Order: sequence, then C-alpha cells, then structure tokens
Amino acid sequence: MAGLASAFGSGAMTNSVSEIADARVIFVVGSNTTEQHPMIAMHMIEAVDRGATLIVADPRKTQIAAFAHTHLSQRSGTDVALLNGIMNVIIGEGLVDINFVRRRTENFDEFEKVVKKCTPEVAEKITGVAASDIRRVARIYATEKRSMLFYSMGITQHVTGVDNVRSCANLVMLTAHIGQPMTGLNPLRGQNNVQGACDMGALPDVYSGYQKVANVKARKKFESAWRRKLPSTPGMTMIDMFDSAREGRLKAMYIMGENPVMSDPDTSHVVEAIKKLDFLVVQDIFMSETSELADVILPAVTFAEKDGTFTNTERRVQKVRRVIRPMYGAMPDWKIISELSKKMGYDMGYRAAHEIMEEAALLTPAYGGILHHRLETFGLQWPCPDADHPGTPFMHRKKFAKGLGTFNPIEFTPPDETTDTAYPLILTTGRLRFRYHTATMCKRTATLEREEPECFVEINPKDAEKIGVRSGNPVKAVSRRGEIVVKALVTDITPEGIVFIPFHFRAAAVNLITSPAVDPVAKIPEFKVCAVKLVPVIPKPGERPKNHYNRKEDLKILNELYEEPEIPS
Amino acid sequence: MKGDLVLSKAHLSYWLRQLRKEADLIAPLRSMAGDIVFSSVENIHDIVADCPANLPSPKEFLFPQMDEMYRFSPKGVERPAKNQKRVIFGIRSCDMSAVGLMDTFYGGRYEDDFYVERRKNTFFISIACNRPDPSCFCIGLGTGPFLKEGFDIQLTDLGDRYMVQVGSTKGRQIIKGFDHIFRRPKKADYDDQYEANLSCQSKFEKRITLENVRQKILAGEVPDSFWEGVASRCFQCGGCVYQCPVCTCFNVVDWKETAEKGVRMRTWDACMFKGFTKMAGNVWPAEKVATRTKRWYSHKLLHWPEQSGKFGCVGCGRCGVTCPGKIDMATVATRLEKKD
Repeated sequence: MAGLASAFGSGAMTNSVSEIADARVIFVVGSNTTEQHPMIAMHMIEAVDRGATLIVADPRKTQIAAFAHTHLSQRSGTDVALLNGIMNVIIGEGLVDINFVRRRTENFDEFEKVVKKCTPEVAEKITGVAASDIRRVARIYATEKRSMLFYSMGITQHVTGVDNVRSCANLVMLTAHIGQPMTGLNPLRGQNNVQGACDMGALPDVYSGYQKVANVKARKKFESAWRRKLPSTPGMTMIDMFDSAREGRLKAMYIMGENPVMSDPDTSHVVEAIKKLDFLVVQDIFMSETSELADVILPAVTFAEKDGTFTNTERRVQKVRRVIRPMYGAMPDWKIISELSKKMGYDMGYRAAHEIMEEAALLTPAYGGILHHRLETFGLQWPCPDADHPGTPFMHRKKFAKGLGTFNPIEFTPPDETTDTAYPLILTTGRLRFRYHTATMCKRTATLEREEPECFVEINPKDAEKIGVRSGNPVKAVSRRGEIVVKALVTDITPEGIVFIPFHFRAAAVNLITSPAVDPVAKIPEFKVCAVKLVPVIPKPGERPKNHYNRKEDLKILNELYEEPEIPS
Repeated sequence: MKGDLVLSKAHLSYWLRQLRKEADLIAPLRSMAGDIVFSSVENIHDIVADCPANLPSPKEFLFPQMDEMYRFSPKGVERPAKNQKRVIFGIRSCDMSAVGLMDTFYGGRYEDDFYVERRKNTFFISIACNRPDPSCFCIGLGTGPFLKEGFDIQLTDLGDRYMVQVGSTKGRQIIKGFDHIFRRPKKADYDDQYEANLSCQSKFEKRITLENVRQKILAGEVPDSFWEGVASRCFQCGGCVYQCPVCTCFNVVDWKETAEKGVRMRTWDACMFKGFTKMAGNVWPAEKVATRTKRWYSHKLLHWPEQSGKFGCVGCGRCGVTCPGKIDMATVATRLEKKD
C-alpha cells in the first residue's frame, strides 16, 4: 500500500479482473494464485488458452508456477534484485517507453543510475535465476503492449516489502504498462473486504479514501462533519501497538475480527504483550486464540446477517444483503460501534448501513458517487466521484492520482536474517488451499479439516537426504527464537535451501519461530524469510514424539468446536 | 402414443395450483440477481417454465447437500421423516435422466432408505427442452432433449398448449381427476410435437459422442500424461462434483448441538478431494490430483457403462459452466475425441 502510494498516489489494483482474459503477457510475482486467488487464476488460465504468455516468479514451484511458460525461482527475499535485473535489460536494450517516461513520470535519472549497476549477471548471483531467463522475461514483458503485472503477499511480507512494491511500480512505468486496459500493477488482496477496510481508513495515518491525517484541510473537513477535534498525528501500527503494550505504555486494546496470536510473527511476544494489557476487547464471530485472552468478547454477526458493502480487489464496491436475522443477540459491527460510542457520550445516530455509506460518499472523493441504491447489480469500481459517474475500470488513464509517477531508486538489501552454518535453511511461510487464515472458521467444517489435518514442512528431496528425514517423519524446526515440531513432507515444490511451513495450525504455530523484523515504512512483518535448521526427531519404537501429537490438546480443541453458544433467554 | 394428452397453457396454473394443495410445489424461479433456481413456489405466476439452464441441479431435493439422518439425545435416537410430498415442475430431460441414474445407484442393489423414501414421495413433471444452452450436450448421450422413457410426466411446448405424455404410474397419479382440463391429442398436435423435437435437436452447439472417448480410453490411447495436463488446471474446488446431477458421494458427520443431544448428518462430498479416500495410518491413496481427475472421468466413462450400461453423465453441461480451469466433461471429451 505505502509503496504504491509513493509511486502513483493511490494503492489498489489499477485494472480490472475482467481484463485479464484479454491480456497478452501475465507476469505474476510472489502470488500462489491458483490456491489463494482461484477466481483470478481462472481468468489467467483463460488468457493462456487465448495465447497469452504466463510468467511466474516464486521461489516455490506452486501450481501456477508449474503451469506457467516461464518460472523464475528466485531465492526468498531477493525480489528487488530480480526486478532490477529485468529493468536493467529493458533500459540496456532500449525497450523503455521514452515518451511515457518523459511526459508522465519524474526522477528517472536517479533511478537509472541504480538500475544500471544491477546487470542480469549481478542479479543471477543474488537471485539464483539464470541471466538468460532474466533477459528473456524482460523482452517478453516489455515488447508486448498488453502486459499485466500481479503481486501478492509473496513480495510484501518482507523487510523490503515497500521496496519490492516500488520496484514493481518502476517496472510498469518504465514500459508504460499503466493507464490502459489489460495492463497495470495489480496487487491481489486476500480477503473479501481488506480493500474496503483500507479505503475506509482502517489504517493509522489516513481517513477514508487515503486522506492523510496530517493534512490540515482533510482534517478540518472530518472535524466539521464529526463535530469533534481530531488528532493531527498518525496513530500506531499493529506492530507498534504490541511493542507499546509490552512496554506498558498501551493499556487497552479493542481487536475486531483479527487473531493476532496466530497471525502475527513471534507469537510468544504477542501473548506477552496482550497479557500486560489492563483491558482487552475482542469482537469476532467465533472464539479464537486471541479472544481466549480477552476481558470482554463482543459477538459479531456473519456476512449473511448484515447489510453493507464489501470492496473487492479490483476496487469494486459490492452490496451485501442481510438474509437471516442476527442470531443469539449478536449485532452488526456498525451497530456495536455506534452503541459503544453512544455509551461514551458521542451519539453517531446511524439507523442503517446506507446512512453510513452516505456519509462516506460525502467525505471521500473516490467514493463520492457510491451509494447503496446504485450497487444493486454489479456494484461500482472507485474512483467514482459523483452520482452519475459509471465507475473506473482502470486507473491513472491520463495522469497519476498524484500527478507525475515517481521512480524510486531502490538498491537491493538482503533480508533481515541470513542463513549461516548454524541455521542453514531459509524458512518461508504461507497458506494452503483448504485453510483460511488462522482457521477460526474453516476448522469447523469437517471436509476442509479432513483435507489438511496436520501441519507439515515442505523440504526438497536433496535437503531431506542431508538431514536424514523421510516424508511423514517428525522434524524439529529451530530458529533463533524458538522451535516447533512438524511432519516432514519431501517434495520438489520447494527448491533446495528453502523450507515451507503453512501458518494455519495451532498445534504447530509457525509464528513461534518467525522473525519479528518489519518493513520500516509499512510495518509489515517479514513472514517470508527466516533462518532455520531442521533436526529430525526420531522417536524410539513405541514412543510418541514430544509435542507432535498431543491428545489432551486435541480433545480441548474438539470440545471447543462442539461448544454451543448459550442462547440468551 | 396411447395415453397422450393435451393441456392448454391457460390451464397450467390451475392444474399446478390444485397439485400444490396436496404437495410442495417446486419449480424454476428467477432469483433477485437473475439466476434460475429451483425452489418452493409461493406464486404460480413466478414460475419460469421456458427457462435457460439452472446451476444448482435439482438433485438436492432427493439427496440434499446437508441431510439430517438421525437425531440423538438421552431419550434415544429418532429418525426425521423424509416423506414430504413434492411435485417438481419444469426440470429438463437431462436432469430427469440423472434421476434415473441416481435410482440405479441409491435404489438398486443397495437401497438407501433416505433416498428411497424421498424418491417415493417426489413426482416429476419434466419439460422436453427446446432451449439448449451452448454448454449442453445431452443430444449425444440420448438423455435429452426429449425423453422416450424414464419420466413421470413429460410436457412438450407446442406454442399455446403442451403435449402431455405419461410415463409411469406415478405420472398417472398426478393427472388423475383432471379429465376436465386435458383433451385427447389430434393429428395436428402430433405434427407440432414432431416439429418441436426436430427444431430443438438442431439447436445444439456441442456434438460429443462419449462412446468414441470410451473406446479410446479402453484401447489405452490416453496416457497418464494427459491426465497430468488436466490436473495442472484443476483448482480442487469440487465444483464439478457438487453441480453434477449424477454424482452421489457423501460424508457422514456427527454434530453435537449441546453436551447431550446432537445430529448425525450426511453432507455432499467430492472424490476430487484427497481426503475423500484417506485411510488410517495416514495413507492417502489418491494424493496426486491427476489420480483424482482420472478417477472421476473413469467412473463416469468406464465404470458406469460397465455396471449399468449407461454413461455416468447426462450432458447437462453444468461442470462446463462451473469449472474455473475449463477441464469439464465436454472440453476434456472434445480434446480426447480429436486426439490421435
């Protein structure tokens, strides 16, 4: 988000999903699209059927990577070097769209100096991707007019996350693959409404529509609408909040629909921070590891019990309608918040979700024409400034949201943790098809639970031989922060030197060992790189490995699953 | 044919209204977003008799997605009744044929009580299809667009009236007592019926003969690498299985409602999932996606004909609509047919 904003002035998918099928080149960086964004991958496969070239850059040979025409298997955390290498070729071979660069961008010379240093040969040394492949991909991507670039968590969850995104932005500006249909820089957002949450200002430094808190004019507008004085300094990011809580500076926390105990890096520190709080409120639809630590739990409603809108990855605001009455006295989120606010002495006075949307449209330029009655069928894509505007399928058509697009010169910096003799493997974490996030919801479905019942670590056969484990053997994954025991899964999906553990599992929570290092700007944790070693746990005959299977723990989880909420009389 | 009748379109709603007094009437309705779904009818005039293909197949009325088998409590075990009388109006010939296939599976050698009880109480009024979708290919399978047997009542749209054919004793039951609205067909009616059948046969975009495909597989001309290619496009969503009107897989789960009482229910399952055949001791017989896609096709193209003489596919084209990777029956069969 921060990376895109600094380059273009707005952070979202620049183009639309329906354009994908007509693209000629699809370049996917750090996204396991088939598993995590299947509906996007569906369009990609259709594009390939129509003759498009699919290029995937991912350390692991995921399904989409195996399906691709070219798979670049870079080392985890070396994306900047890979992209710089590609841009070096584009500049060196004269494939730059000079007209576009001159008219619509700034700071090209500074940027060129940095990229010039990173020849494909230099990039090969850092990334492990052959220089010839880098050259080929650069030529394919730059010469075709309809080239779309996609990225996801694979490049953002690094200490260099913002740098990675800025590099992608540099690439699309260099080749003028922006501001036209079937081009653009497209971040794939994982959850149905994560885009909407960001748009509505659920970030520490902005109001809705990315209007900066520090901007006096924007602040005055919100102050007059809300009739209250508003702070001029940005708030804290989640990582900062947990740090302050640990130091005792933050006393109370209100968590909505999140499970940071499972999803944040370095679990033990998060738990320690939460325990130090004087007061914790959790608002969620199911019990989670975090709500177990809460003082107050506010039951929220599911999608089927509330009215409102979701904004999807292509900026499309879609309506969600209530089909059943809220159960067990739970309330929609907006109602909980406005009731709380009333108790605290500020009556928001909303009576329905559409009234909130009206206010959002009034105060948010990009949402200016987005009102509930216009969303009946297929919704609208922001920016939609007024009530007659048909929505914007692709952005930055004549100029960027901030005027000129900015090239950010970015040098390659290695990940926070590097491998050494004590911790020789890179651990990268990720998601599985049949599990959603911290599994608070999907673990209640027997079929989904059956598909991936246990945590595992993917190891390349060569590494497995060195360590001496076979598929199914328990191994201990040890990092500088802790250790977990998981089952080995020997597969060539993961390349040599890298191991992969999904983060969904409570019994083997990989975030006990991940690195707490964060990106200095976006504060996104580095989930994708951490140095580990694997130690085989060979149980003696007839003895179960420790921690590997804990019947007591399992029974506890089972009992929770079957616990019925009490119906208030 | 003897026993055929003609029903004026003006009398259809009267007939359905009378039937609704005795049974729950289920028919294709248009949802708010424009999709066609089968559900219980509130207002007879909402029925979209001449509708395009619908996505959830009507199998859910015989084999629901979630079916309570038993309820248990300290008082003992009870079995919820499944004897709700239902008239399902407006299903297409392909779906009617699929019901026939389900009957051989659930009511054949092993009788499934839950299915059989529902089936006994369900009456079908199918419509000879005159509006095949681009995804439809029933014509190559003999499961449509109109049926010669295996229906309760079949209607053929003749413009201002329906030709009514009665194909079973159950069919006879639901026209009994309505002599005043039906009349005997004349020669002109038969001519019109013939013309309607002929015209709809010409509307199909897909012409696929699964027998050719079967012969190719039997002759060993389809290597495993072909199925690996298919698997590389599989999202493992299970959509093909859930939408298929012939697929019958289910899973049984117990759900404890409180500490004391609970429900044993069965839910749809899919052989496309690797956990479907999971065995004790962490054995996954079909861990590779290619094994599973191959098995799904083998079941429909080889095992069904072996066991019952019919393909396990009725050409409704639903998998083609729902599959994100475009590896549905029609696409795969076309590729295999062309392959040499």
